[in-house]
Amino acid sequence: MIEFRNVTIAYNDHVVLNNVSFTADFFEKIAILGGSGGGKTTILRLILGLVRPDEGNIFINGQDITVLSESQLRQPRMKFSIVFQEGALFDSKNVRENVAFCLREYSNYSEEEIERRVRDLLKILGIEEAIDLMPEELSGGMQRRVAIARSLAGCEPKMMLYDEATTGLDPLTAANICALINELSSGEPPQRRGFILVTHKVLDAARVADRYLYLENGTIAFDGDIESLKKTDDPELREFINELYVAKRV
Amino acid sequence: MHLLRAASRLQDFYILSIRASLGIFRRPFYLRETIEQMDYAGSGSFFIVFLVSLFIGMALSLQISAELSALGLKMYTGRIVGMAIIREIGPVAIALSFAGRVGSGITSEIGSMTLGHQVDIMRVHGINPIKKLVTPRVISALVMLPVLTVIGDAISILGGYYISVFVSHQSSSFYWSQIKEIMDFKNILSGIVKPFIFGYLIACVSCYMGLSTSGGAEGLRKSTTAAVVISTILIIVSDFVLTRILFYFLGMSI
Repeated sequence: MIEFRNVTIAYNDHVVLNNVSFTADFFEKIAILGGSGGGKTTILRLILGLVRPDEGNIFINGQDITVLSESQLRQPRMKFSIVFQEGALFDSKNVRENVAFCLREYSNYSEEEIERRVRDLLKILGIEEAIDLMPEELSGGMQRRVAIARSLAGCEPKMMLYDEATTGLDPLTAANICALINELSSGEPPQRRGFILVTHKVLDAARVADRYLYLENGTIAFDGDIESLKKTDDPELREFINELYVAKRV
Repeated sequence: MHLLRAASRLQDFYILSIRASLGIFRRPFYLRETIEQMDYAGSGSFFIVFLVSLFIGMALSLQISAELSALGLKMYTGRIVGMAIIREIGPVAIALSFAGRVGSGITSEIGSMTLGHQVDIMRVHGINPIKKLVTPRVISALVMLPVLTVIGDAISILGGYYISVFVSHQSSSFYWSQIKEIMDFKNILSGIVKPFIFGYLIACVSCYMGLSTSGGAEGLRKSTTAAVVISTILIIVSDFVLTRILFYFLGMSI
């Protein structure tokens, strides 16, 4: 379980998150919505211990990760895997080397076993033919798929963290990525591998998530399911999710 | 507030430098990365070192032989050129070229990895970016800058030889006898110790600036510029300090 307790963080005197508290189970399918620069990605970075809060505590399975050193953070981080916006692939490595990156670093698999695992993962994600391509030769959608393959290669995460996984993609590719996200989080709780999707694309969030958090002025202005989201009285949030109503009319 | 931030950055820099140094002796050893970095920093820098050293040697020889011929002492050109190159100008000039080429390259490469979240990916998967990115570059600079300095010194002395013998019409054998005379332990030690320290400083500063990059393309530009400027200042200041220390330990009087 993830627990944020009164978390505050500022970058260069600009408060990004202000006294934020929430809890989430690993099997939950959560979308964090909000405008650009609203602190959505910061929440993912805080969960992974990539940044530390100025105030407050973050607990992963009851362990306060804000006091852990970089080497101690390795264990709690193994519960998660992250897919960054644009994929964050290593430019100088081809798809095979990108996906095999963590396997080579931390497993004792032979080269043949690594090759087999990489091919299996790429096959599941539908991009086996791209195995020898460089990241610059991949489309945006393929880059995200390779990033997802890499995030699954090295470990068995309990929860996936997607940072704007569908941003910058055409509607069809975005829909495919959403389908893939759903597929990777199929099954029933509590065994299910959950996810947190950070996005400003409400329609994509609606395709995958069960629970929605909306960030406004550094605080969580909304936390609930799709039905309560649609019934919200918050004018700013109503404006933000306008896409949902437009899509319904179309 | 600014002072506190500066102190905090300085502390981060020290921690990174110490961890990168300790990483040399701890597993895992990233041999492939280290060899790649040595190739980039060493053989990749050879041409620039060749040009810089050759023209510095020739210019220095021209200046000194012109000045000494007015005093009737131009046969000592080799001695002064050799001494200046080995002890002082060679290590500093090559370190400055190294900072410009290799240091800026390190900062821009690590900086773009930081901005592209590739460093974050390493951390998430339990890979220590200092061990993986910084230590190979520190080893590479520690090995390759002294090697380049020795090669550069030799090229500078050859450049000086060309001017002394073919332009200033001095005796070839006397030039080489003067060079041989100054090739003693003290001079060689002063010329070899400095590139180790300069290499270490350049690699640590450049990696630190790369890892602390933020703010997109503009931030990367600032980091790269800062890495070269800070390295340049550190090379010149530490050169003076090292010279003073070496004079003391080698018992050289002023």
